[in-house]
Amino acid sequence: MIHKDVLVIGAGPSGLSAAIEAGKAGADTLLVDLNLKAGGQLFKQIHKFFGSSAHHSGTRGYEIGSLLLKQARDAGVEIWLQSTVIGIFPGGKVGIERGLDNGEKDLVTLKAKTIIIATGASENAIRFKGWTTPGVMGAGAAQTMVNVNHVRPGENIVMIGSGNVGLIVSYQLMQAGCNVVALLEAAPKVGGYSVHAAKIRRAGVPIYTSRTIIEALAGEDGSVCGCVTAAVDDHFQPVPGTEETLKCDVITLATGMKPTMDLVKLAGCALKFHGPLGGYVPIHDERLETSVKGVFVAGDSTGVEEANTALDEGKIAGISAAEELGYISHEDADAMRSEIWSRLDSLRLGPFGERRMKEKKAMMEEYSETVKVPAAFQ
Amino acid sequence: MTNEKYYDIVVIGAGAIGTSVAYHLAKEGYKTALLERGDIASGSSSHCDAVAVICDKLPGLDTKMGQASIDYFGKLAKEFDYDFEYTPKGCLYVCETEPEFAAASKYCEAQQKDGYKMRMIDSRELSEMEPHISKDLYGALYTPPESSVAVNPYRLCFAFTYEAEKFGLEKYTYCKITKINLNDKTNAVESLETNYGTIHTKRIVNCAGAWAPFVGKLTGLSIPIEPRKGTNLVSEQTPRLCNNKIMEYGYMMSKFDSINFKRKVSKLVEDQNIAFNLEYTNSNNLLVGGNRLFRGYDIRTEIETVKAICERAMRFFPELANIKCIRTYSGVRPFVKDHLPIVSDVDSIPGYYIAAGHEGDGICLSPITGKFMAEIVAGRPTDFDISKLDFKRFA
Repeated sequence: MIHKDVLVIGAGPSGLSAAIEAGKAGADTLLVDLNLKAGGQLFKQIHKFFGSSAHHSGTRGYEIGSLLLKQARDAGVEIWLQSTVIGIFPGGKVGIERGLDNGEKDLVTLKAKTIIIATGASENAIRFKGWTTPGVMGAGAAQTMVNVNHVRPGENIVMIGSGNVGLIVSYQLMQAGCNVVALLEAAPKVGGYSVHAAKIRRAGVPIYTSRTIIEALAGEDGSVCGCVTAAVDDHFQPVPGTEETLKCDVITLATGMKPTMDLVKLAGCALKFHGPLGGYVPIHDERLETSVKGVFVAGDSTGVEEANTALDEGKIAGISAAEELGYISHEDADAMRSEIWSRLDSLRLGPFGERRMKEKKAMMEEYSETVKVPAAFQ
Repeated sequence: MTNEKYYDIVVIGAGAIGTSVAYHLAKEGYKTALLERGDIASGSSSHCDAVAVICDKLPGLDTKMGQASIDYFGKLAKEFDYDFEYTPKGCLYVCETEPEFAAASKYCEAQQKDGYKMRMIDSRELSEMEPHISKDLYGALYTPPESSVAVNPYRLCFAFTYEAEKFGLEKYTYCKITKINLNDKTNAVESLETNYGTIHTKRIVNCAGAWAPFVGKLTGLSIPIEPRKGTNLVSEQTPRLCNNKIMEYGYMMSKFDSINFKRKVSKLVEDQNIAFNLEYTNSNNLLVGGNRLFRGYDIRTEIETVKAICERAMRFFPELANIKCIRTYSGVRPFVKDHLPIVSDVDSIPGYYIAAGHEGDGICLSPITGKFMAEIVAGRPTDFDISKLDFKRFA
């Protein structure tokens, strides 16, 4: 069995920055990710970031990814790629299907004194007639295809959802040479930033609000050849007689994300439903420790937000794990954390951020009321 | 307006046994309530495998009940509107070595003498029946579909409940029993206190399986059932890798400690008490098992168990190495030291009945257990002598 001070699961923005902090503090740190490359969603984000200089504003996502990866290596972090954590088992044992250089896999058992779960979020699907037809995919999948693999998912795209993901991915699909036929938004208003929506509209792409998809149409080859849309009433129910057909070969769903909870559940962390954070989230304290001692969370797996907040939360989790093991004094850790927290507060301004900030604060209050002292890992 | 409720009989536990007992009682005409602390099939009956066979049972009463239950499954499958995926399917108990084959032959002979259809097959016939199985096995004990069927355990519980509701069964899920009231003088059952209010009844049946001891405690009964953990692996959907339910003869050892038979296996497999078994489901996922361990009520899967099951499974089906495991689950089986369930009334408490402790046979024996319990409650003799299952044996 392999022993580590800190195991970080997920090498996206929060996992990378957590590993960097823990590694810098001197903890023997292992970072595990199932993908070919570290960086998580950063590698498909070709747009420039908002925010302050502490959050790499003006830098494109994939450049931040490369920068963090280098910092992690410099901090002495061991990185296993193409390696999947298959479970957290009784006794705090972690099963990892480790990717070997020769392409084979090896199942290893590992025990870590602390675990940071940074598994991000997954896309929500909505269900409609024909929703499993080839050509229906998550907007994130389409984004990976064009930005990472440089493959167009199709020619004519209908995007469902006008949140920031729907808007940005639509624009990137257009940059890649796809024709975005239309965006559909079930709500009466566009969900994302108007600056992104304006870009789409300027390019001549219509955004239909109060309208949704009710059916994906399949052609002779069994894949998508169009979709039927309908106006929705105040209760988001399709209004009969308002059906229209759009021709397309790809339907992308940008209908929200939910935190990935599998490993958090296996670790036995207490969960609570928080709608504005995307669903069930592990409740945690200001140190980002869950209800289980030594198990920390960071990034979208604590509530769906942005890459910027994920970067900062990762730092907090990394600092707290190092503090837990005595690599950082409590005073120093407190000072480092409070600086990051005030930065996070300023990041969480604006209509979206404030709602999430309120929700996070409520969750941390719940933690102090219900958990008080985290239980030992069993 | 009162929330007090009156029933002829109250069944506690909505697993395969409880739902079957409730079905048979409701059908008999009793006004029946089914109480469950979670949802239907939320305990062992949703954390098990799907097979009902006689060849994992000792000759005698055990096998007799098994066969009667398997026959009864066929009848219920025809009668019920609710499909519980009844599928007759042969079973192969594979023998790695000559001594195992000899022991299995002896067992086979004893069962044949009692009139059950099973036979020994050699390695050539085995690889004809199962082209993907390891070629170096010695042979197998084959049980034809008459004595070996598969059902969907989840659906079975829902089927019994659905059919029982036609006869007026009322169910209370997420029901917490805080107290069972007995008569001061006669000690007979009078009522139960629950989060649904007081439920008045003269009879209760404890069908809480591995949790039966907790229900027993409410009336000071000590019921000697212990939770015994078993683990299964679920594969991705695959082409049919096997045609029959496959088990290793060593399974008998993990089930009946009395059969003392040493296998040549790794320390991991030995420590984890692994008994390989394999079956495909209706959706063409494979279920790969299994083992038995005492771990209290902790049903988290252990990584050592997963590794050991994989190791053992690949010994019998090498191609499994290329098939992905997508999920694992564990559950507790209600273990009784003498490997026989408790199906009887309780002398010290008039109106108290127990149907629990079937260990790994709960699904298989659920139809016959329900039938027996209805007969016991009605005061009729059971189809055959089941005095060995009486709770008295622990007195």
